[in-house]
Formats: sequence, structure tokens, C-alpha cells
Amino acid sequence: MPVLISPAEREYIINGVDHNIRADGRGRLDYRQIVIETGLIPQASGSARCRLGEGTDVLVGVNVEVGQVDMEGDDEVIRERKSKRGRVICNVECSPIASQQFAGRGAEDFNNELTQTLDRVLNGPQGGLNLEKLCIIPGAECWVVNIDALILDYAGNLLDMVFITTRAALHNTKVPKTIITKTEDGLEFDFSDDMEDAERIEGWENVPIAVTLSKIGSRHIVDATPLEELTVDARLLVAVNKNGKICGVQKGGSGSIEPSLLNEMIQTGGTIGQHVIQKLDEQLEREEKETSKKIVRNESVGKLGFFAAI
Amino acid sequence: MNVEFLLPEAHQNDDDDVEMPDVSDKFVTPGETISVNAQYMRSHGTFSDEKDGIIKSSLAGKVEIVNKLISVRTVHSRYNAEIGDLIVGRITEVAQKRWKVDINSRQDAVLLLSAINLPGGVMRRKTEEDELQMREYFSDGDILAAEVSGTFQDGAASIQTRNHKYGKLKNGSFVSVPPSLVQRCKTHFHVLSCGVDVVLGLNGYIWVCKHTPPLQDVDLEAIYSNENEPISDTTRESIARVCNCITSLARKFMIINDSSITLAYEASFETQNVD
Repeated sequence: MPVLISPAEREYIINGVDHNIRADGRGRLDYRQIVIETGLIPQASGSARCRLGEGTDVLVGVNVEVGQVDMEGDDEVIRERKSKRGRVICNVECSPIASQQFAGRGAEDFNNELTQTLDRVLNGPQGGLNLEKLCIIPGAECWVVNIDALILDYAGNLLDMVFITTRAALHNTKVPKTIITKTEDGLEFDFSDDMEDAERIEGWENVPIAVTLSKIGSRHIVDATPLEELTVDARLLVAVNKNGKICGVQKGGSGSIEPSLLNEMIQTGGTIGQHVIQKLDEQLEREEKETSKKIVRNESVGKLGFFAAI
Repeated sequence: MNVEFLLPEAHQNDDDDVEMPDVSDKFVTPGETISVNAQYMRSHGTFSDEKDGIIKSSLAGKVEIVNKLISVRTVHSRYNAEIGDLIVGRITEVAQKRWKVDINSRQDAVLLLSAINLPGGVMRRKTEEDELQMREYFSDGDILAAEVSGTFQDGAASIQTRNHKYGKLKNGSFVSVPPSLVQRCKTHFHVLSCGVDVVLGLNGYIWVCKHTPPLQDVDLEAIYSNENEPISDTTRESIARVCNCITSLARKFMIINDSSITLAYEASFETQNVD
């Protein structure tokens, strides 16, 4: 991946954005084609792989396991609330094969940044997932949802893809049903063996996605390519849920954004995010229908995984 | 506002029935036996056991036999510079009396200060002042077209821009493809009918830009300028279309030359357009 850009290229990109014809012919608010497949890792509770255009390749695996509830914290009220909740642990890792800039220790800071962003959006009250429902025995045991994202290839717009793939993987995730029984020593639980009983995590449909708006010149674009990312003055990450509600805003990059433009960017982020979620959910539903059809017909549900051509 | 989600597609094996004629056109994978005949000599991309003398491949690629010499040429490899090749490169470093240029090779190529055209006459002596002004000519990140003039002992290429055809590239955008796809042709500067110039670097770096007529009297100040000319929206669209055609050709692993680009460009109008 180039880490350098010539002044002529920079000018070409800025003018292109201004004229609404970007270097690959897209308009300012157009995404590249996204190829998505869910359920390709049989060992995981849920998984999805997303590829954007010719490059960016994100694999997300969700694993649910039983763990202790988080009882830490100084405040009694917070501790009380935490003890009745499940937990979500996020981890994003850039594979060194994705890009030269991730080789060696280069990806460490970047991994932390991505992990933190994902963690902040998903673990807050705006995260969508119903964490209370993930609690099995209050004060003792709960479901821990491990979300692991692996970046396998890089061609810009990583964060948006991480969020989209995470949402798809959570759609694919099934949590086994637990049966709680009362014994002399208190509460005990057991898993239901029937996989039919496994349920989605409640509230997955409210999980937000992120739209990164990049300010180039005096305008802003979505889905920046690596060369465009080098031209960016400032970035704005807008997390949006399916109702178009803003769930988080984070500014990046060294440049500044005027207040009026900031408002406009958040607004476009909201509408675009809602549109993306709608399209994503349509696709996920279509894929699910196909899969269930195959199961009914007793055909093998062949996932392409890494054997896919595009 | 446009976003499209798709399902992945399976690979299509439509050339299953293609026969492998003889050894020289064989495609091999690492560890595969190429020849058991002891009279062959092994070269790049091959290895053999001391005991039996069987030549095996150490790479995935096509077998090439020149007389008795067997080598394997890979499809995805870094660029191997050959003298006389036209390449497109990006300056990565400005050093003492030289620039380091990324040319998609194993090592950065070297562009000596003495291997460029300087303003004020071709035959001008290079002074210390020129050394101080090196960034005025080429700076980090600049893209240039050049010719491979030689290789050093360690395998690094030495390049030169002592011709008005070569030099800084502007007014367009950059595409990168596997080097093995770019066909070696008589000329690598092409003017397409849509008013777009294409510089096909043999190293897989391609520059697509607005058509500019060749300069009559060479203004050396203009050669090193970073200013783009005004570009119309139609030209911008054509450049974008040509770039996308080249990436599509590369994705389908098709050879890239002026005619394949033109054909792809014409065919691209038949597909639906988003806006």
C-alpha cells in the first residue's frame, strides 16, 4: 500500500471530489461493492466475512462462552447493575499480510484504536445488544460475547467494514438456551441440547454500524480508498443504528471541521448509515432464506468461505 | 448514495479441458517434479536432490526451458528489472545525489542526479547547487516514468529519465497490477481514442492521465511542475473508466496492452451504469 502521495495526485483527488467524480468513477456518497457471507466458520457461534471492492477484507468471528459477571467498580450502584449483565469483549487485529504498514509492530497502535472504537460503541447503552438478557445467574454467571475481527486485506475504509461485518456476524450468532433450576445451594443451570432452541442475542438488530466521512477539500466523502485517505484533512466516524439515530461520533485526522459542515456530515452519516443497514439486512435475510431452503431440501449448505472467486 | 451487497461467487473452471502440451508450457506447484532427465540444468525457481538429480519446482508458475536450462517463472512475483524496460515508479527517498524509487521490485531502484534532465540545457554540468535543489525536481511521493538503464551488483535497478518522454507524471491517477500481466511492447505510451493517455510500466504500475500533445520545445520548468492542468468532467470520467477497466482485466488475469484496454473500455459501456 502506498504511504506516499504526489502533489499532483493529491490535487487530482481533491478536484475530483469537488466535481463529484472520484478516481474510480464513484460519486461522493457511493460505496464500493460489498461482498458478504455469513456462517463460514463452523466452530464459531457466529461469523461473517466482508470484502469491499478489490481490497479490504474483514473476517469477524463471534464466540459466546459462560463466564463470571464483571463485579469491579467502586460505585455500589454500578456494581449492582454490572452484576446483572452479560459482557461483550471486542478485539480487532490487523494481519501483517494485509498491508506493509501492519508489518512488525506497526499495527499495534492501530489495533488498539480499532478495538477501542468498536468496544466503545458496542458496550455502551447505545450498543443495541440486550446485555441483561445475557445474564444467566445474576451476580455469578453470564454469557460472554467475544467479538474477534481480523483484517485480512486493506484497501481503505476499515472501520466501516469492521462494523458492518460485526453486525452481520451478530445476526449469524446463536446462543444456546439455558435452563435454570433451583437446588439447595442456590441456582444452577444447564444447556438445552437442542440446537433448534438456540436463539439470537436479543437486540442484535439495534447494533449500530459506523459511517466514516472523510473531509477532502471543502467536501466530504464516504468509503475512501487508501490514496484518498492520504488526502484527508479530517475524518468523522458516525455510528448509526437502524432507526437512523446517532450512536456515537468520533473525529480523527489532523485537520479541522467547521461547525456547519460538522452538522451536515453527521446528518449525511445518519441517512447513509440507515440506508446501509437496510440494504445489509435485506442481504442477510436473503442469505438466510437460501440457507433454510437448502436445509429443507436436505442439500448441503456449502459456504464458500475462502474459496470464493470474488 | 449507493451501496450494494452481494453474495460471494464460486470460481468458474471453464478451462478444465485445456490440454497441457509439453513440459515447456507446464504449470507447476512447489515440490512438483519438472524433469527426471539428468541432462537438464536447473535455474531460478527450481531445486534438485543431490542423490537422484530430479529437478523439482520451488515456486508456483510456468516452466520455461531455454536449451537445457530449466527455470520457473511465477505469475505473482515482484518485478525483475531488465535493461531498456519502461517503468513507472514512485520516489520514496531523497538521498545524496540520488533518489530511491519504488518500482514494485525487491529493492528500490536508484535514480542518479546525473541521470535526469536538468533545466538549462542537456549538456549542463551538475553543480553543488543542483544537489541542494534535488527536491525541486523530484520529491517524496512523486510519480515518474523512467527507463531501466542497468542493474547493480546487489540486484537493484538503476533508472534514468534523460528523454523528454520520461519524467514526472501528473493529470491523472495511478493503478497497480501484477507485473506479469503487462505485455512487453514496442511502445508503452499509448493514446486511447477516448482522449486518455496510458503509461504501461512493465513493473505493473500504470499511469492513466489526460491526453497532452507531445511538447515541441521542451520547457524544462514545466516538466518538474506539480500543477495539474484543468481537466474536464468527461475526461475525468474516461480516466476513471479506463482505470476500472485495467483493474477488471487484472482481476480476471488477462493480459494488459493498449488493445485489451480499448476492448474492455468499449465493452464497459454495455454494462449498466449507476448514474
